[in-house]
This record gives sequence, structure tokens and C-alpha cells, in this order.
Amino acid sequence: MAARRRLKRVAASQSGFLSFKSPSDPTASVGSRRKRVNKNKKKNWNKYSDVNDVDEFLEDVRHQERTTGGLLSEKADDSLFFLDLGQPEKPQPQGELKRKGKASRPLRIDLILKPDSLVPPPKDILAYQQPNAKKLRRIAEKAERLAAKGVVPRKQKRLLNRRPIDRTVKKAVAEANNNPDRDYYDIWGQELSADPWYLQQTGKKLVKRPAKLNEKPSVLPAVEVIAPGGSYNPDFFSHQALLQEAHQVEVQKKKQEDKLERQLAINKKDKATEETNLREQVEGLVEEENDDEELAPSKEDDEAALAAIAVTQKKSEKQIKKEKAEKFKEQQRLTSRRQTERQQQLFQLRSIKASIRQQEEKTKSKQMQRRIKQEAQKAQPRRLGKLKFQAPDLDVQLSDELAGSLRQLKPEGSILKDRFKSFQKRNLIEPRERAKFKRKLKVKYVEKRAFREIT
Amino acid sequence: MGGLQKKKYERGSATNYITRNRARKKLMLSLPDFRRLCILKGIYPHEPKHKKKVNKGSTAPRTFYLLKDIRFLLHEPIVSKFREYKIFVRKLRRAYGKTEWSAVERLKENKPAYKLDHIVKERYPTFIDALRDIDDALCMGFLFSTFARTGKCHVQTIQLCRRLTVEWMNYVIASRALRKVFLSIKGIYYQAEVMGQLITWLVPYQFSHDHPTDVDYRVMATFTELYTTLLGFVNFRLYQSLNLVYPPKLDSKAESELKEDDEEDYAMNSESYTEKLSALSSSLARVVSSEEEEDAKLDEFPDEGEDMEKMEAREKEQKQLETQKKIFEGLKFFINREVPRESLAFVIRCFGGQVSWDKSVCIGSTYDVTDETITHQIVDRPNVDKQYMNRYYIQPQWVYDCVNAKIRLPVEDYFLGVNLPPHLSPFVEEKEGDYVPPEKLKIMALQRGEKLAQQDEEEEEEEEEEEDENEEEEDDEEEAEEKNLKKMEEQRSQGKSLQVKVTPGKVKVENPARLEQEEKAEEKRLAIMMMKKKEKYLYDKIMFGKKRKVREVNKLAAKRKAHDDAEKAKKKKARK
Repeated sequence: MAARRRLKRVAASQSGFLSFKSPSDPTASVGSRRKRVNKNKKKNWNKYSDVNDVDEFLEDVRHQERTTGGLLSEKADDSLFFLDLGQPEKPQPQGELKRKGKASRPLRIDLILKPDSLVPPPKDILAYQQPNAKKLRRIAEKAERLAAKGVVPRKQKRLLNRRPIDRTVKKAVAEANNNPDRDYYDIWGQELSADPWYLQQTGKKLVKRPAKLNEKPSVLPAVEVIAPGGSYNPDFFSHQALLQEAHQVEVQKKKQEDKLERQLAINKKDKATEETNLREQVEGLVEEENDDEELAPSKEDDEAALAAIAVTQKKSEKQIKKEKAEKFKEQQRLTSRRQTERQQQLFQLRSIKASIRQQEEKTKSKQMQRRIKQEAQKAQPRRLGKLKFQAPDLDVQLSDELAGSLRQLKPEGSILKDRFKSFQKRNLIEPRERAKFKRKLKVKYVEKRAFREIT
Repeated sequence: MGGLQKKKYERGSATNYITRNRARKKLMLSLPDFRRLCILKGIYPHEPKHKKKVNKGSTAPRTFYLLKDIRFLLHEPIVSKFREYKIFVRKLRRAYGKTEWSAVERLKENKPAYKLDHIVKERYPTFIDALRDIDDALCMGFLFSTFARTGKCHVQTIQLCRRLTVEWMNYVIASRALRKVFLSIKGIYYQAEVMGQLITWLVPYQFSHDHPTDVDYRVMATFTELYTTLLGFVNFRLYQSLNLVYPPKLDSKAESELKEDDEEDYAMNSESYTEKLSALSSSLARVVSSEEEEDAKLDEFPDEGEDMEKMEAREKEQKQLETQKKIFEGLKFFINREVPRESLAFVIRCFGGQVSWDKSVCIGSTYDVTDETITHQIVDRPNVDKQYMNRYYIQPQWVYDCVNAKIRLPVEDYFLGVNLPPHLSPFVEEKEGDYVPPEKLKIMALQRGEKLAQQDEEEEEEEEEEEDENEEEEDDEEEAEEKNLKKMEEQRSQGKSLQVKVTPGKVKVENPARLEQEEKAEEKRLAIMMMKKKEKYLYDKIMFGKKRKVREVNKLAAKRKAHDDAEKAKKKKARK
């Protein structure tokens, strides 16, 4: 309000004030007859007083302020006009200096876009208002009053009652299983700590291990001691025995290999000779005459078929009766015979008993054999997967490899492998092969052009 | 005719088994994890009786598990830990990929871990069960503890294995439980008797590893993981049973002795104690310090059915064992640097000997070479420059052979540079009628307490004598074969004892016995005559088998004789 009043005053005092818009045409008002109205009433005053000029003026002031940032009349001439001197000469590029000026000066585009309006943007009143201010104020006042009395609110009380946390103690880190400093305790001495009912209800009870799982899958001992010939300084004969054993194994292997080779060898008969070649070439060209022989037996077949049809012809009634009677007679004969046989068996009781005993003995011996076989099987490695168990090579040192003393001894074989094979032999793990690296994409071989030209 | 049609493979063995892949899917684990779980829980693949039925008509070789076992696995809390670990690895990999180091650190701090304690308790419900399965654990422990720290397995695992095996050895020393040792070309076999259980384990020689490629290290590491846990708990219990402090502590007296100025040269402060423990040279601290040997004899209550002979035999055995435990008592050994220290120290200490070595070899030596009270110095080189008068210089095999023979063998055969007698396997037990090498016979004779004074006298003399004896022997045998087998056996045993020397006076004493024998033989012959045809056939068969065995044994003995003669001739020539 104050600003506007000031503007009015300024406008009135300045005689040479020029408005942008020319004031309403004076001739128009002259033409119409002037209506006389008493302006002593507020209503009339409001209605008939002409405020257009003032409004226009103020509108113009606002317009100037909005667009040019102030009244034009108040601005200095330099800011409104400039002397046109034509194209200014380009200054010499003075690298460093120019750059320095550039960094400090804002961009021209920013300057253009910069609002030069004096009118501040409207204020958002709601941003300064607090919802529920009154209620909050009242609550705060109440809290203050209670605090003065020494009453602590429930929230704070709960916080105070909480157990203090020791921040210095780190959370117990799960200890790795292979920590070399881990501690052990008497695992078999202590009894179950918690109530079984509690454990069951909370789902912490461990499931009982079936007793069958504690049986070992093989009867072999965990550590099989090497034969006495495997001593570092062996007795001559036990060493020879061990060598013999190793030799046997090798011979067996060789046999297998030879057998395979024999089976894979080409049969001499299958080899092509000149004769077979010739025969192959002439195949089908030379006619062989043995068609007549095939025709002969077909006649006999026809006769047999005819006979079969003749048999199936209908029987006469007499024949049927006769057959029936015969059948009945035969059956009777058989039953009577069976009866007598059964009666005769009474006198054969001893031999029957003997035969039964024999049979029983036979079954018993068979059972025994089967049991023995099963026992033997228990010590054998089972077939647990794709591969069969391959017994490791016997560890043997030849006579000239044997060291005279402990110092010169060269250990034979690997214990790691021995252990691994032992696990396999005892059916604890299935025999496996190391996975082979497989190329995913096929390799394509192409002869290079240069090379092809040579060959 | 009603009823639903029975479908194939919906009952019976087809439903009792499950293939490995299906089991894996059921547990939602990857194959390595599944394998690990199976090893830890002791669930092994099973070969079905009727494979085709189980495999639903197909004959393709597959690995099968029992369905009930897999169901049991579903309850295992470790399964969830495996899954957690999988997720942990995935997160870690992602963090690495994004180079978020703080995240990597945080993840590593919260690495999921699991314990196998409950599995050990579950698989071995009692202590004895665990002790029966300790062989494997020991083998794996000793094996892994000798691995180089090269990344084939975790360094921590190696350290843990070393710690546990040292604890075990210290226990065996403290309880004097060792019974047999066998130096083989593979490694050293030990056998100990702990709480009535015979426990055998195999220790590799040091520095003898070339890592084989066809062994699955992951599987082995998993076994080791379980067995270290088991071994730890067993160790704890064993230490408790001997009133020893666990984790083991050196005796305060020993500790002060071992204090040295230059400790830092060997190991860091943190490690020096474990190193001292693994030196095996000093005894351990006990919970109850008053450590007087309690030799309270157990009262004997013979059972009604048990006859006196058995009890006497048992008593005799007990006595023998007591003497065996003390064979090195009062001896002071010094181990030269070229000899495997750990094994020898372990064996000597197990039988009550004192042991030391050069200061620069290992930490924990208790006395010097210059000590005048040393009785035996163990040397494994052709000769030694400076020799002391009052001690024996012997080769390491003497120690092991003494342990196996259960007596202190004469040192003469094991002197410096002497050709050693063969190292026999103590794990072989000869039955009656088997071939027994003469070296073993000699030892057996020594055990019986027979003096071998003549044996030591002179070789040449012996040779001639022996030849004569052998001839006689052979004649005897021929006769015996004609006569009766039983008698022949007897004769043979006499012949053998002749080999080992029997004074001629004894023959006279045997005469009445011989008469008696003849009588017995006559009776037997009559009995044979009275046999039925069937029984006779069987009897003949058995006899034939026995005879064949004897023939083989004789053959071997003759061979040996020829071999020995050849050797002797060679020696003589060399001497000339």
C-alpha cells in the first residue's frame, strides 16, 4: 500500500509524465451529455466517480515494474539507450586473462533469463502454519506441568527400565569348525540339559537316529596293515611272497589286456581276398539254378492240411457215448490206483522219511552255502555307482630298491590315496572319476587357402 | 473280480530306495553339499538286491540311497547352514564384483559356521563307540598334519590336526598304551591298546608327499572335518580318565627345565608352547598333582567255569605286559640328527625311556650329547667321529624291534655299520604249522628266556653244527611222514628248537615221553582203522591238507637254508 501511494505521489508531482497508453479520448466524453448526480452519498460516490484514469495509471506503473524492473522515468539514460558504434573490433585473444574473466562472469543466457522483476513471488501461507497447533501446545504445556511435578511419561519409563546394552562386547561370532584353538568338552558325560517336553514343544528336539545307520557297510577293518614283505627291511621270503603276489596281479592284468586285444583283432576270414572281390563284383550277374528244390515240399504241406480238416469232422452219437464210457473207466482206474498207492505208502514210511531227511539236508547245506557267500560278500566292495571299485596297485619295492637303512628309505605309494581307496573299499563313498573338462562348442577345422593351394 | 489293478514300481523295493539325484533335489542341496552331508551324518550309498526293480525297469548303473535315510537327513539342522553358506558365498562374490570392500568385510565378519558336536554325539552314543572308530580319525589326522601349507586344504585344518595328533601321542605316552610298531615302505604302523580296544593307525614319513591327482580332496577334507571333532572329544575324555589337564600342559618341573634363552629362534611366542608339547620329551601336568604310581593290584575273582589254567595264562600275560611297558625304563637315549626324531621320541617315551636330541634339531631337548649318563645313542650313518666309551651306538631299528619283541634285544646285531637283521612285521600271527622265519624263532626263544650264549660264540662253528643237525632233522622227518602226522609235528618242533640250540642232555629226559607218544600214536591208528568210510574220507582229506602245508613249510625252510648258505659263502669270500 505504501509503495502504491508513493507511486501516486510521484506520478502527480511529475508534470512530464508520459503514460504508455494514451488516456481515453477526451472528445468522446465531450460529445455525450453530462449527467449530474449528487455525490454526497457513499453509494453514488462509488457509482459515479470516474477512477479509470487512476486505474490505468496504476496498471501502467505495475506493468513497468513487472517488465523493466522499475519506473522508466526513474532510470538513468545510460540504462535505456546506447550509442551505436557499429561492430566492435574483436579483442586479441589473451588466453589466461580472458579465461579468468569468463570463469567469474555469469553466462549471457543466464543473465537474459534472470528475472528483473521487483515484485516478490507470492508467499505460501500454509507453509508457515502448523496443523493442530493448539492441541500440541496444550499437550506440551501438560507435559511441562507433569515434569515439574516429577511424573515421567510411560514411554520414557519403559526406556529407562530397559536393560542397558553393553556396546563394547561384540556379538558372539560363530566359531569355525576347524579353528585350531577350539575347545572340547565331555560330550558323553553330560546329560540332556533341557526338559524333553520343552524341546519337543519348541521343535528343538533332534530326531532319533535309526540304530541301523550305526552298522558299518563293510566288515573290513579301517586300517589294513601291509603284508610283512612290505617292511622297510623285510625278511627275504616274505618279500619274495609279496613280489609274487604283485606279479600275479600284473599277470592277471596282462591277461585281460591280451584278451581284449584278441577280441578286437580282425578275423582272417573277413579279410578281402582276390576271390571274394571277384565274387562281389560278379554278384547277381551269374544266375544260379536251385529254384526247383524249393517248390517240391509245398505239395506235402497241402496234404497234411487236408488230413487235419478230415479229423475235425463230426462224430456219431455212438462214438461219443463210447468215448465217454472209456473216459469214465479210465478215471476210475486211476483213482483206484491212487488209493492203492496211498495204502502202499504206509509200508514205505521208512524210505519216505529218509528222502525227506535227505531233502532237508540238501536245503540246509544250500542255506549254509548261501550264508557263507553272503558273509564273503560283506567284505567285498559293492557296486555303488557307474564305476566299479578298482583296487589300488600293491605297494612293492623291488630287491634293488630296498634301502639298507631307515635314512635311505624312499617311501612307496601315497597314504592319501591309500586312505581314499580304503573308504571306497569299505563302501563309505562311491568310486568316482575326476570330472573331465568338456569343450562346449565344437572346434571347426578349416584348411587355410594358402595351404590348400600347395597340396 | 474286483480290486484295483496293481501297478508296477509302486511298492516293495522300488519305493524303499531313492536315486542320488532325487535325494539331492529332495534336500535342495547341490551335489558337493549333499555328498558332504552324507559323509558327516554317516549315510552311505546302498546297493539294492534287485537293481532292475529299484531302477524302475532300467539297468543303468546308479547310486541309490535308502529313502528312510534321506528322510532322516531332512531333519538335520546343518542342512540350513549349508544353504546359508551358499547364500553367503553368493553375496560375497557380488560384493567383490562391485568392489564394495566394506560390504566384503562385513560379510566376512558374519560368515556362517556350524558345529558337528551334535552329530558326533548322535553317531557315537557312547564313548566306546567313538573309540572303536578312532582308527580312521587318527590316520586322517596324522596324514593332514604332515601336509604342506600350500592351499591343498585350509591351513587351519592342518594346524588343528597337528594339535590333536600331538595330544593323542601325549596321551599314549602318559598311559603307556603302545603295543606294536611296524616300519613299512608306506609309513609307520602303530598299534595301541586304549581301554581294551586295539587301535591301529598309520603315520606317513615326513616330507614324503606327492599329491595324487585322482583323490578327491574335498571328500577327504570332509572326513577330516568330522574326525577332528571326534578326535578332540575322545582326547578330552581320555585325558580326563588319566587325571591329566586338558588342553595338555607341561609339568611345571619340565616347563622350568625347558625354559631357554634362545626360544625365539625356533618359533613365535604363541607357537613355542605347542612346539614344546609336540617335542614329546617331557611329561604332562596332572589335575591331582600327587602323582605316585598307584600299583593297586586288582582283586581277582575267578569265575566258576573258568579253570585255573586260563587264569594262569591271563596272569602270565599281564606280567608280560607289565614288563613290556618298562623295557626302556632307566635308559637314556640320544637321537642323532639324521634319525626320524618324532617317531623315535614317541616310541622311547612310550616305554619309559628318557630321550633328547641336539638343540638345533628341535625345541625341547633336555640334555646334550656330552652327557655322561647317556646309555644309548641312536645313529643312522656308517660311522661317528667322536665316540664315548660308556654308551652303545645303535641303529634305530633296535628300538622298534625291542618294542615288537617285548624284551630288550641284544644290541650287538644293531651296532653301527652292522648289517641289520630283517624288520619283521608284528602284525603277523603264525598259526600252528605255518612257516616261521628263523629270526622270529630266535626272538621267540629269547622271550622264553633261553640264553643264546652259544649262538653268540662263533659263526663258523655254528655252520658246521647246523649242517649236521639239519641232516638229522631231515631223516627224522622222513620217518615221521611214514609214521604219523601228529608225531611228525612234534618232531618238527623239536627240530626247530634244535636249530635254536638244545643241549644234548635234554634228549635223555624225553625218552619216557616218547614212549607215551608212541602209545598214543598206536591208539590213534586203531581209531583210524575203526572209522567209517565217509569219515575216513574226510579224515584223509584233512590230513592231506596238513601234509601239504608241512611240505610247503619244509620247502621254504630248505630254500632259506640255501639262501643263508649262499650268503655266508659270499661273506667268507669277501672276508678272504
